[in-house]
Amino acid sequence: MVKKQAAQTANPKTEFQRINYLSELWRDFKKNKGAVIGLIVLCIIVFFAILSEFMFDYETQVIAINVSEMLQWPSSKHLFGTDNFGRDILIRLLYGARYSLSIGVCSVAVSLLIGSSLGVIAGYFGGLVETAIMRVMDVFSPIPSMLLAVCLTTAFGRGIVVLMVAIGVVGIPAFAQIARASVMTIRDQEYIEAARACGSREIQIILFHIIPNALAPIMVQATLRIASAIGTASALTFLGLGVPTPMPEWGGMLSDGRNFIRDYSYMTLFPGLAIMITVLSINMIGDGLRDAMDPRLKR
Amino acid sequence: MFRYVIKRCLLMIPIMIAVSFIVYFIIDLTPGDSVDAQYPELTATEKEELREELGLNDSVVVRYARYMAGVLRGDMGTSSTYNDSAFKIYMKRLPATLELAFWGIFVAMLIAIPFGILAARKQNTWIDSSSMFFGLLGLSIPNFWLGLMLIMVFSLQLGWLPSFADGTWRSIILPAITIGTGQAALLIRTTRSSMLEVIRQDYLRTARAKGVSERKVIYHHALRNALIPIITAAGSQFSVSLGGAVVTETVFAWPGVGRLIIDSINTRDEAMVVGSIILTTMLSSIVILGVDILYAFVDPRIKARYSK
Amino acid sequence: MSDVKKNILEIKDLVVHYDTEGGVVRAANGINIKIGQKESLGLVGETGAGKTTTALSILRIIPDPPGKIISGSIMVDGVDLMSFTEEEMEGIRGKEVSMIFQDPMTALNPVFTVGEQIAESIQIHEQVSAHEAMERAKEMLEIVGIHRERASDYPHQLSGGMKQRVVIAIALACHTKLLIADEPTTALDVTIQAQVLELIKEYRETYQTSMLMITHDLGIVAEICDCVAVMYAGNIVEYGTLDDVFNHTLHPYTEGLFSSLPNINQRTARLTPIPGAMPDPTELPEGCAFAPRCAYATEECRKLEQSDQTVSETHMVRCSRYREPEFKIKRGNMP
Repeated sequence: MVKKQAAQTANPKTEFQRINYLSELWRDFKKNKGAVIGLIVLCIIVFFAILSEFMFDYETQVIAINVSEMLQWPSSKHLFGTDNFGRDILIRLLYGARYSLSIGVCSVAVSLLIGSSLGVIAGYFGGLVETAIMRVMDVFSPIPSMLLAVCLTTAFGRGIVVLMVAIGVVGIPAFAQIARASVMTIRDQEYIEAARACGSREIQIILFHIIPNALAPIMVQATLRIASAIGTASALTFLGLGVPTPMPEWGGMLSDGRNFIRDYSYMTLFPGLAIMITVLSINMIGDGLRDAMDPRLKR
Repeated sequence: MFRYVIKRCLLMIPIMIAVSFIVYFIIDLTPGDSVDAQYPELTATEKEELREELGLNDSVVVRYARYMAGVLRGDMGTSSTYNDSAFKIYMKRLPATLELAFWGIFVAMLIAIPFGILAARKQNTWIDSSSMFFGLLGLSIPNFWLGLMLIMVFSLQLGWLPSFADGTWRSIILPAITIGTGQAALLIRTTRSSMLEVIRQDYLRTARAKGVSERKVIYHHALRNALIPIITAAGSQFSVSLGGAVVTETVFAWPGVGRLIIDSINTRDEAMVVGSIILTTMLSSIVILGVDILYAFVDPRIKARYSK
Repeated sequence: MSDVKKNILEIKDLVVHYDTEGGVVRAANGINIKIGQKESLGLVGETGAGKTTTALSILRIIPDPPGKIISGSIMVDGVDLMSFTEEEMEGIRGKEVSMIFQDPMTALNPVFTVGEQIAESIQIHEQVSAHEAMERAKEMLEIVGIHRERASDYPHQLSGGMKQRVVIAIALACHTKLLIADEPTTALDVTIQAQVLELIKEYRETYQTSMLMITHDLGIVAEICDCVAVMYAGNIVEYGTLDDVFNHTLHPYTEGLFSSLPNINQRTARLTPIPGAMPDPTELPEGCAFAPRCAYATEECRKLEQSDQTVSETHMVRCSRYREPEFKIKRGNMP
């Protein structure tokens, strides 16, 4: 990728080059069967996350208490059984996908945008700016990520947005590091000199040259972090610090099911499976992306 | 070498001070305070008077300074729940968490190293791909769910193992497996890539030409070199597991600092929460520093570099 | 070349292939080598000729996959190694036959001391205590000209020349019968080269070790070998004593090698390299592999499969043109 750029003159990447790169990437990605399966599974999950709003009525089906149907084992009427409030677990699971996915994506979006911007600025301008930014990152890094998230959710209370911001903040140092490292590798390459020599302004250089090349490791990291963010979000909800009841977040459903684990084990089985399958498919996609983007694996 | 260690330790101090401020500041933002928690029966006016008396109406910076002054004296505040020194209570609960973290890494290495070596030796075969897949699986399973499933099968259905800390050696098994499985994923990957690097090195050929058996070539000559990045990864995993202990200890009702933090949050015991998180962070930093130093001892080239 | 006594090394019709993605690499196609006691043979040829493959085959440490010894026999001191199990081979390596490699910078394990690495060889093959093994390791260091205190040093603390001497110490620690040296001086400075060669020569005189020296440098061959085998594209194209090959050169390739050496007595504007390059080992031609580059090649050469022609008791050449009784190459035969 980088070599291709160097061979060309200091022009912003043309549309043609961008399309070419993407189709090449897709071709390499497809080779990894696991990654493709992951992608398909994820699409199915996303499908339900979006459409469940229309398929199920929130008030009556997702959170309504239905004492007569309490604690029923999986049957043809309730495919995954019902919980201690008589709510259909399958419906709650499908609806709950939206929380996990949205928290995953938004939190990583926060980390990525803020972290990468800081990293790019630090790497590009160097000197005092770089030191200041990296010192701040150094202060946040030693705090174990789970504890930092716990801290933030404790302070700001329960809620989806808090969760997104908390998990997002935890992820900022990692993206800052990657972005900075990428920038430092690229900024000294010759074609940047060439760009400057042609009179491109600093901001143009950053936007059109540095960012596209730094993108690869960031994209891989982002995908993998979405997976871990979903895991963290469900862990926090499980602990009582995340999405408040009665919203059907998967981690919360596990927490509910915990009290009934002895006699109604299905209540803990299905939400956990849902988390695992979602996280696994995203991880496989991330893995596939990483292999597809790895220059060493290219023919 | 010695100077390097001292330098690293000294560097930790300003970072820990900054960390402690951040933690204090964030927890301080929690609505409500210890007066509300401890004396709910007082009227609003009485509470205000009490706050003035205790100095709770001062700015956060002043209160933080007061707090740090106490810390330097060894006093991290009093736990409102236990009515005892927060530091003392933390230290009492710490060994349980350390036990958990240690056995977790142990299980993780037990799984990861043989599979990582196998995957490296049979690179690009189905053995390789499936090892990587299982690693990924271990990473994806939410560890609190794994814990619950293990409890369900081994405690409730089969009755073989206890589901909480009952004082016997058996009680560590399920928690250790729960933590270890999640950490094994990263370690398998690290072991595999590290072994792949080492396996093509010339000095292994020299060893074979000497008549060293293949087993010894892999497990003595190669592994010793591959171990270095693996140890670093294990060290950082330890730090992650200190954070993850919060969840595992909740599932297994384990009397460690993770559960202490959660319980303290629920009882609004601010001193305990702040103290625990700061101390845990410090512990995590010490472990990482320890791993870096260990790294220097294991790799004689690094040792030489730092001895200059 | 050899008398009735057993040869230390006898290789017959060795064929080695590498099964790679690009095709089957025919690295060795019927190699025959004999080395007697106290003798040393220089195996000469360009990179890729198959010299290292031949050497690795003797110890059976060819990476498998993708390498495989297809056929042939390798006899060390009268015993056929091809029938040995892996365990039995481990007993041979470092004890009866040992090898030193080209790059000393990467040949030593960075996390063990040099003393430990020498002592390990001794401990594997001889029933001695760890202490005694280390003592002998220190002695070996002295033999190769390194202070015994340096046994507790790590490889990175030694210079390139010293590292190579440690490698030699490891190879000679059990006083093997046959030493295989794969371009041991190529990676070293010229002055260090001379020292290392001197060391090998002295050791051989003291311990009567036979040697297979692999090199592309004819100068080294002249200095240290009794016999020469010239290799090209997986075959030995000329074989004989030093006198045979240097003064009565037969094969056009050998002639080319000598011609491409700069001659201090003849100041010419240009050197004479051999035109062209070695053929792709996955696609060797039917006839003589050297024919495309040979000044004496005929149509028959290109089509006919070559065979060994014995010219004298010690001298062999693999060139079908020698079937013609009057054929002579230029070298050594100019008026």
